[in-house]
Amino acid sequence: MDVSHLSIREINSLFTKKEIKPSELYSKVFENAANSEAALHAHLTLFEEENIKKAAEADKRFSNSESASLLDGIPIAIKDNINIKNYKTTCSSKMLSNYTSPYDATVIEKLKQQNTLFTGKTNLDEFAMGSSTENSAFGLTKNPWNTDYVPGGSSGGSAASVGARSSIAALGSDTGGSIRQPASFCGLVGFKPTYGTVSRFGLVAFASSLDQIGPITKTVDDSRIIFSSISGEDSRDATSVINNQLDIPSDNTATIGVIKELMEDGISGEAKNEVNKVIEILKSKGYKVKEISIPIIKLSISIYYLIAPAECSANLARFDGVRYGLRVDGNTSYEMMENTRAEGFGAEVKRRILLGTYALSAGYYDEYYGKALQARKEMIDEFAKTFKDVDYLISPTTPTQAFKSGEKTSNPLEMYMSDLCTIPANLAGLPAISIPTGLSKDELPLGVQIMSKPLSDNSLLDFSEIIENEVQFDGQPKGWL
Amino acid sequence: MSNEFNIKNIAKLASINLSEEEQDSLSNDLSIILEHVNALSDLKLNSQQQEIFIHPLEKELELQDDEVVESLTHDEAISNAPESKDGKFVVPPSME
Amino acid sequence: MSLKPTIGIETHIELNTNTKMFCRCAVVDTDEPNISLCPTCIGLPGALPVPNKKAIEFITLLALSTGCEITSKGMFHRKNYFYPDLPKNYQISQFDLPVGLNGELEIVIDENKDYIQIERVHMEEDTGKSSHSGSGRIESATSTALDFNRSGVPLVEIVTKPVISSSKQAVAYIEELRQLSIDLNISEGRLEKGNLRFDANISVALEDSNELGTKVEIKNMNSLRSLERAIDFEIQRQTKALEDGVEIVQETRHWDENKEVTSTMRSKEGSADYRYFSDPDLPNMFLSDEFIKEVETLMPLLPKAQREELMTTGLSLSQSNILSKSDDWIKKLYVKVFDQTKDSVASYNWITGELQGQMRKANIEVLPEWFNDDYLSEIIELIKSNKISFTSAKIILTEILTAETTPSKVAEQKNLFQENDSEKISEMINQIIKENQDIVDRIKSGEDKLVGFLVGQLMKQSNGSVNPGMAKELLLKELEG
Ligand SMILES: [Mg+2]
Ligand SMILES: [Zn+2]
Repeated sequence: MDVSHLSIREINSLFTKKEIKPSELYSKVFENAANSEAALHAHLTLFEEENIKKAAEADKRFSNSESASLLDGIPIAIKDNINIKNYKTTCSSKMLSNYTSPYDATVIEKLKQQNTLFTGKTNLDEFAMGSSTENSAFGLTKNPWNTDYVPGGSSGGSAASVGARSSIAALGSDTGGSIRQPASFCGLVGFKPTYGTVSRFGLVAFASSLDQIGPITKTVDDSRIIFSSISGEDSRDATSVINNQLDIPSDNTATIGVIKELMEDGISGEAKNEVNKVIEILKSKGYKVKEISIPIIKLSISIYYLIAPAECSANLARFDGVRYGLRVDGNTSYEMMENTRAEGFGAEVKRRILLGTYALSAGYYDEYYGKALQARKEMIDEFAKTFKDVDYLISPTTPTQAFKSGEKTSNPLEMYMSDLCTIPANLAGLPAISIPTGLSKDELPLGVQIMSKPLSDNSLLDFSEIIENEVQFDGQPKGWL
Repeated sequence: MSNEFNIKNIAKLASINLSEEEQDSLSNDLSIILEHVNALSDLKLNSQQQEIFIHPLEKELELQDDEVVESLTHDEAISNAPESKDGKFVVPPSME
Repeated sequence: MSLKPTIGIETHIELNTNTKMFCRCAVVDTDEPNISLCPTCIGLPGALPVPNKKAIEFITLLALSTGCEITSKGMFHRKNYFYPDLPKNYQISQFDLPVGLNGELEIVIDENKDYIQIERVHMEEDTGKSSHSGSGRIESATSTALDFNRSGVPLVEIVTKPVISSSKQAVAYIEELRQLSIDLNISEGRLEKGNLRFDANISVALEDSNELGTKVEIKNMNSLRSLERAIDFEIQRQTKALEDGVEIVQETRHWDENKEVTSTMRSKEGSADYRYFSDPDLPNMFLSDEFIKEVETLMPLLPKAQREELMTTGLSLSQSNILSKSDDWIKKLYVKVFDQTKDSVASYNWITGELQGQMRKANIEVLPEWFNDDYLSEIIELIKSNKISFTSAKIILTEILTAETTPSKVAEQKNLFQENDSEKISEMINQIIKENQDIVDRIKSGEDKLVGFLVGQLMKQSNGSVNPGMAKELLLKELEG
């Protein structure tokens, strides 16, 4: 039995029964990394050496029956836009290639309290801007199912790592689909919690009103365990909320809405098939399923590509070569900053900063950013209305299976379109999850997305687990394991 | 919507020193994206001039008590500085 | 050509909170650089702002005290510009929804009241401090050193409408605002420490014009003196330009303290477009009625009301104004002494003239412990009842400021009780006349001025114990007779 394939709860039970030690799991995970990293490049840094001692401590806790945490001794990979004290946080950018964080993100503090082990920092699209992990200053990450394909992004490193079992689970961040889309491309569960339930303190901001940290895992239950460990109000994040969960039925008294706008043109037949497959299962179990329409969803990409770049243009202004990170000299401070930013940022980051700068600039604010805010508000209202009639919304996670490396790099808009189904949840702050349901004819994973109303994360997880059990997706990437 | 933009001005505002080549390619990219987002101009909003909430869940701001919490040491704060002297961060002259 | 100047003033007040505006670093007053910092106030990747409750209380207090309407539904905006001492390269500030709008401040010039309309009162954060090194002249600085201790200190910005018409009014306005912030206990009000900093917008237009002239902004005025001189200089410069038909350029000018001129600041290209937008890290701020009521309970007696109360004791407006702008102990002392003596002019003169004058001269900052509030009343009563002369009273004051004693003890020990017995005085006069026969002769031949000399001799010989009024009267009688 390969312990790295097991779920967190299964592993914990083996630890508790002393049938296996954390240090053994730890060795196995790094053995997997040794087999896969050269081909996949999931991790930017591996923390192997420094964690040997921590794994041994976990061994001791379990042998003395002192462990109280499900995550004790579980090796988790961390996306490299989340700060871990005394480690580099590069955001896959040349700008921060030499930056060491002097503090822990709140989620890291929480995981440390649970005695979680960290496998290392994973690759991402620079500053989480991208959908393929091709925009990394440190080389691209590949899909563990087929290395010709992208793992998705921006949390592509995290997804590839869990896919290749070089970690048991991973943290990602999701601004427009950056957890769910790579999870879907890699045959995993990806969960973006309700906006504000997980503290953003210590997550390097891309678009503050959209960013949310969440897990990428093999099972829904693993996501549940991680979510419950990292969520909670944080006095250091003014946008964090009290995690007062709404209880929504997950059994067959629930009503499921199929979003019409996400089952139309631009969505591949394969992606639609997965949704229909799940709908049939749900119907057969007695769930009420109905088609609903939220027309403004069609404007998601437009709204998103004004709001996210506007916020990022200010969020990334701090990278200027003054206090940390890259510095490229100049005769004056201003020249130095301009040169540093020219050299430190990659093309996609520049594109979005410039787009956002323009959208906020004098004379354009109202027609761009201002209008986008109004439209976003309307979308939030539309979702609220919809959730009066239905409990869960179902759609494809992505319009297609994973695409090939280089396939969409020439036209930025085409890349942006791949986030069509995932963006609405970010705009409305909703919890959303991607569950793997099947394989395409190219033997690549496909998934469906379920959304529910804000603060119904636990119910969403319960409902997703029912689907997971019914679908019985058990595909695994071959070759690494 | 008007899609004329002066890439040099925008780059200046964003403090990024773009090469001629980058100016051309980024201008081109921005045009394509702006053309797409122009779809928004067709949107008839149901409720004009609604109060905008920054937080998608319409959370209200909570304030923090005025109590000191120790954070970074001097060394931690300055440890990543590209250049420093006598405990200060040093940059090329900034006087206008 | 009849021209009129119009001035608007923007003042930044540093609040005296324990911690900074958006983090819990201590506000420190030290030359030791970069010792009170955290990820938030140096803009490390991933750090987030959380506002200081006390600062919001303070600004609400200030807004209420200036009669502003309180914006109960407010928010924070980002003001974007690149400057090395601004860590995030945006300042968190307020834009269209400031805490206070449309207020008014009463000021006093001599015996006249005036009202300065206030446009807005908003909350923001301070920047770090730059020091430029090189040959000493800023133009040839070879590097800039940065200290971020001040970064994030809460600032309130108060903007007047363009209603000020002279440097005198401007100075009176700042004096009033300074006193207000001290009385509200929201700032130390120390100009030399930069607790209050001000910029002036100055324009000159034709007397009968309805439109304002071209606005010029003056920065770097660090004292009331420089404020006054800079405004006067700029009004003259603009007036002359208009008279000579030279166009005035809208620009920012720098007050040169040494040369006493304003000069054009080299302006950074493209810095005018601040791209304000709502800070996505800070949810909308609601100031509830409850909160506002709570703040109202903190409201002290404002300088305006203090003046009104003081005027009821019989002081003039300008005297009341001076007292209202004095240290707290002086105000209290005045009230006590007036209560006891019912003589406002004597109380005022003894406190603001003699007492403060002697203290200044002797470099005494606080009254000695033994200095009983009643002593001044006692001295005033002694003079009024002719028991001591004014000269003696000054001597007594000097004594009780330097040694633990009482007015009557000093009068007794120094033999200062006044001689009011006309027979005894006449005896002394006869003696003086005898000793100064030559002077007497000169008086008789018309040198009237010399009477004073004789009175002086009399005072000297009597150790000042003679009632000078009686002495002069009796002397004249004697000389005539
Ligand atoms: Mg300001
Ligand atoms: Zn701080």
